[in-house]
Amino acid sequence: MHALSITGLELTRPGGFNLSVPTLTLAQGEQALLVAPSGGGKSTLLHLIAGLEDPDAGSITVAGTPMESLRGATRDAFRGASIGMVFQTFNLLHGFSASENLMVAMMFSSIPAATHDSRARALLAELGIELPDQAVETMSVGQQQRVAVARALACRPSLVLADEPTASLDPANAATAIGLLQRACRDHGAALLCTSHDPSLRAHFSRVIELGHAEAAR
Amino acid sequence: MTDFTIVLRSLSLRRFSTTVTVTMVAVSVALLLVLLAMRDAGRAAFRRGTGNVHLLVSADSSPLVAVLNGMFYANAPSQPIDWAAYMKIREAFPWSWTIPTQLGDSFRGSPVMATSKEFFTNFEPVLGQPWMFVAGKAFEAPYEAVVGAEAARVHGLKVGSELVLAHGVGTASGEAAHEHDDHPVEVVGILAPTGSAHDRAIFTSLETGWCVHAEEARLKEAAAANPGEDDHGHLHVAAEDLRDSEKLITGILLRVPTRPGEQVSSALPVAFDLLRRQFPFTVAQPAQQVGRLFEIVSGVDTLFIAMAVAVMVAGALSVMLALYNSMDLRRRQVAILRVLGASQGRVFGLVLAESAIIGLLGSGLGVALAAVFGTVASAELQRRVGLVIDPTMDLRTIVLCAAAATFLACAAGIVPALRAYRTAVVQGLRPLG
Repeated sequence: MHALSITGLELTRPGGFNLSVPTLTLAQGEQALLVAPSGGGKSTLLHLIAGLEDPDAGSITVAGTPMESLRGATRDAFRGASIGMVFQTFNLLHGFSASENLMVAMMFSSIPAATHDSRARALLAELGIELPDQAVETMSVGQQQRVAVARALACRPSLVLADEPTASLDPANAATAIGLLQRACRDHGAALLCTSHDPSLRAHFSRVIELGHAEAAR
Repeated sequence: MTDFTIVLRSLSLRRFSTTVTVTMVAVSVALLLVLLAMRDAGRAAFRRGTGNVHLLVSADSSPLVAVLNGMFYANAPSQPIDWAAYMKIREAFPWSWTIPTQLGDSFRGSPVMATSKEFFTNFEPVLGQPWMFVAGKAFEAPYEAVVGAEAARVHGLKVGSELVLAHGVGTASGEAAHEHDDHPVEVVGILAPTGSAHDRAIFTSLETGWCVHAEEARLKEAAAANPGEDDHGHLHVAAEDLRDSEKLITGILLRVPTRPGEQVSSALPVAFDLLRRQFPFTVAQPAQQVGRLFEIVSGVDTLFIAMAVAVMVAGALSVMLALYNSMDLRRRQVAILRVLGASQGRVFGLVLAESAIIGLLGSGLGVALAAVFGTVASAELQRRVGLVIDPTMDLRTIVLCAAAATFLACAAGIVPALRAYRTAVVQGLRPLG
């Protein structure tokens, strides 16, 4: 079973935007960098995979479940349980502490509530967050990045989607952050699909998918 | 971490807007409750005063004025009834009891009613609750007074205190009222509170009022007859020396016979008719006149209630506005929750729960405010107008108002909640700016 399998994906938007992914697969635990020019549809593809948008045609299967077979609340619950997302701006919940951000994520999963707190703290400690009760908006950018990674892994996903996760960081920190993300995904057995327009990240990935040439890449 | 925690966190994140909105709801709930309580308390205060009187005879021009003057001490009745007429009315029908009253004097702004002893034995200020004395007893002799609870409190009167009555109603400071300073009246009894207008009155025997006025009149006569003489300050008129022309009253309280335990009687219309046909006075049924008064003011208090409801709707709109405006800021929060696996329905519920909590907090605070307002307002009314109003709110009204406010807040929350429901997750996740 693949962590991700896409076939015949088509999406057309008014204004000439056209996204076409004939085929793309990601094995369990596999890590790949998705590159495309700015506005090339990297974010859109991630949203399609997460089931936040629907394609015009084609099929997206995550961990053996076709997204198009899920609707509404079922799809939301599946996304919460099987897909972790990391964003450029982290999209942490302000007003909540680091551990609470992880616990909110676990709230929508089937992980027993009694274990949420200890699991959140363990994950944060693993990622080097020493003050799990600190409010996220008071944390440094680097720390927020770690909290975001920890939150993406909180529900034991099969697939982590990272949308320009290093764009807010300087090159040195970007390298550290991507290393951290890759290691965490590997440790937790999650496949990783990471987008970036930063060519320096290519060195970190054994597999690079050029959008528009997805079929050529495999 | 529960949905409730998320809601509370969200409310405290927008502390200012939450506080303002809760206050708005609280003020509108309080306003509505106070207006309702005041209206009910005002009505109760009026209903109480007429007690077990069936009919009131007065020389005032209209029945309503007669009742307001004769039973609620609004003004001194302008025209007297002479004693002979009273005796005729007394004989005209087999009354259960008749009580003559005379108003016109005052003590530092408190009305003084001269009446017979039956006022304390037969008349009940509140239906089924006869007069009770907290100290002393009813007057026996001239120059003795019984003081209502409120009057005793305001003037600090006790059994044994001496009062100098003034002619005319005057004001609280006694100006514009002529004092009968030669004849202090001694307090012999203090009445228990009844919650009626009678609490602010002072009662003396009819003879007391008559003698005081007779002496004054005769002193004036003497002064006019012998302008040179100076020493006529100690002329005393005993009750048995009173001329019939000096025995004037201003009202008669009447009750027709009823079967034991009943308040109405088929004899009442007959008696009413008889008085109207045979005597040149105004005849009023106090209970009916109080009902008429409510009809007159009901338009006004409907207006007040309508205003309070409008304030409540405005409160609900402000809840909606506060939540709706915050949706721009919260689009990201909603989007994140969706990405983390929250369904649209759950996000809808979270936003709706916020407005419900605002409604509940506002109602609770509003009920507390209303209790404070009510107490302050009733104290003010008592101080300024002497109206004894007990602003107790019944539980049903409180629960209804609080439920209505919470419901309105929830209804106001529907629009923002729908907006949260439809929030496009993809847009909410874009980097800010």
